[in-house]
Amino acid sequence: MSNALVEAQPLPAPLSERIAWQLRHNRKLDLWIAWYTMVVFYTLFGVVFVLMTEVMPPPGPDWSTERIVRWFSDTRGGLLNGFAIIFAVTGMAAMCNAIISYSMWRMSVSKAFSYAYLIIYSLAAIPGMLFCAILLTVGALRPERDPKLLVWLYEAAFLTFVGTMGIFLVGTLVWMIAILIDKNRVLPAWFGFLNICNLLTEVVVAPAWTARRGAFSWNGSVAFWIDTIVFVVYTCAFIWVLRRMVERETFSAGAAP
Amino acid sequence: MTTITFSPASEPAELSDKVSGAWAFILIECATFSAYFIVYMLYRMHDPATFAEAQTHLSPTFGLVNTLILLASSWQVARSVHSARAGRYDVAWRQAVLTVALGLAFVVSKLSEWGFEIQRGYTFETNDFFAFYFFLTGIHVVHVLLGFVFMGVALYKLHERDVHSEALEIAGIYWHMVDFLWVVIFTLLYVVR
Repeated sequence: MSNALVEAQPLPAPLSERIAWQLRHNRKLDLWIAWYTMVVFYTLFGVVFVLMTEVMPPPGPDWSTERIVRWFSDTRGGLLNGFAIIFAVTGMAAMCNAIISYSMWRMSVSKAFSYAYLIIYSLAAIPGMLFCAILLTVGALRPERDPKLLVWLYEAAFLTFVGTMGIFLVGTLVWMIAILIDKNRVLPAWFGFLNICNLLTEVVVAPAWTARRGAFSWNGSVAFWIDTIVFVVYTCAFIWVLRRMVERETFSAGAAP
Repeated sequence: MTTITFSPASEPAELSDKVSGAWAFILIECATFSAYFIVYMLYRMHDPATFAEAQTHLSPTFGLVNTLILLASSWQVARSVHSARAGRYDVAWRQAVLTVALGLAFVVSKLSEWGFEIQRGYTFETNDFFAFYFFLTGIHVVHVLLGFVFMGVALYKLHERDVHSEALEIAGIYWHMVDFLWVVIFTLLYVVR
């Protein structure tokens, strides 16, 4: 942090005054808003998908029709309320994409990387959560409808949620290349390599399209559990390195301090 | 944003960051593969008869040839790193090219083996053993393909005579990991009864 930024810190004061001071004077206000939005978004994502809708870990791909119908009835409240939250906050994903794109904008690499990531990830919410949320909401809205339709909605929802990873693969690849060839040291090299681990998980889920049971099915130990652990580590890592990036930002050209 | 020019004094720190980053990556990859191996062993313990029977349908010749090819490629990349350290960049470049050629031979051999197994009716959906066989060898081949990218960068740096670059060092570390993982996969799938 530069001296100017350090000297500009406010004196101890009531919280409301400190917030007002930050809003008026903090040069990184926009970056911090983007970063905190990202934290709030991923927290809500975790709460909704794990606790409220019980979509993670996913129920079985080999369930009988009766069991799937019962699942829709049992989790109806969670699905409707949880996904209502997701539909309300989906736009927050744009701030996550924005701060990641900003990291590439700040690098010594071509702006094409930043734009490519922004375009690719502007589509990511659709296969990443919206398809699943819409299909399961439709199923939960009328759990008494034709069981064949419920099975269709159930399978389509989980296959799109777990299996459609191509967008994430290419997006992660773009960010990885940018980090590794960047000379401004905006993000650490180890995180560039960690992107490889994440993009490989997108390959590992591919068998979920054919496996109805076992380690490679959509709730399997390989296709879901190991992948999810890597994804959680990766997500925690990028939230942390982006925080460090904001802290180190001086808005000057060239290498980050 | 202006692109900066590095002063020579700042370069070693950056390159060192990259090597340590590569090591962190290798450790995470090894941990991930270890998890795959544990899951494989658990499935095997759950149904030893199916795994033992299915294992007999694999070709040990293919497995052995693949192992020898990868070991030879690892030897070549080690020689290449030594040559580069000694400043013999032409030799290092040729040895790195040979590494890639052996890697390609491995991929061709692996594709032939898959074709051979599929022709005989053994696919991903045959049983749990063949699901793991195609998955483990498949994800390993993806790592070999990724290794070509690392080697490609190393070859470019050797061609440019970039004496500060540690691209070959990183490619070498990565290639040895790919080789090491193959040896474990070979042992689990072809050898352990």
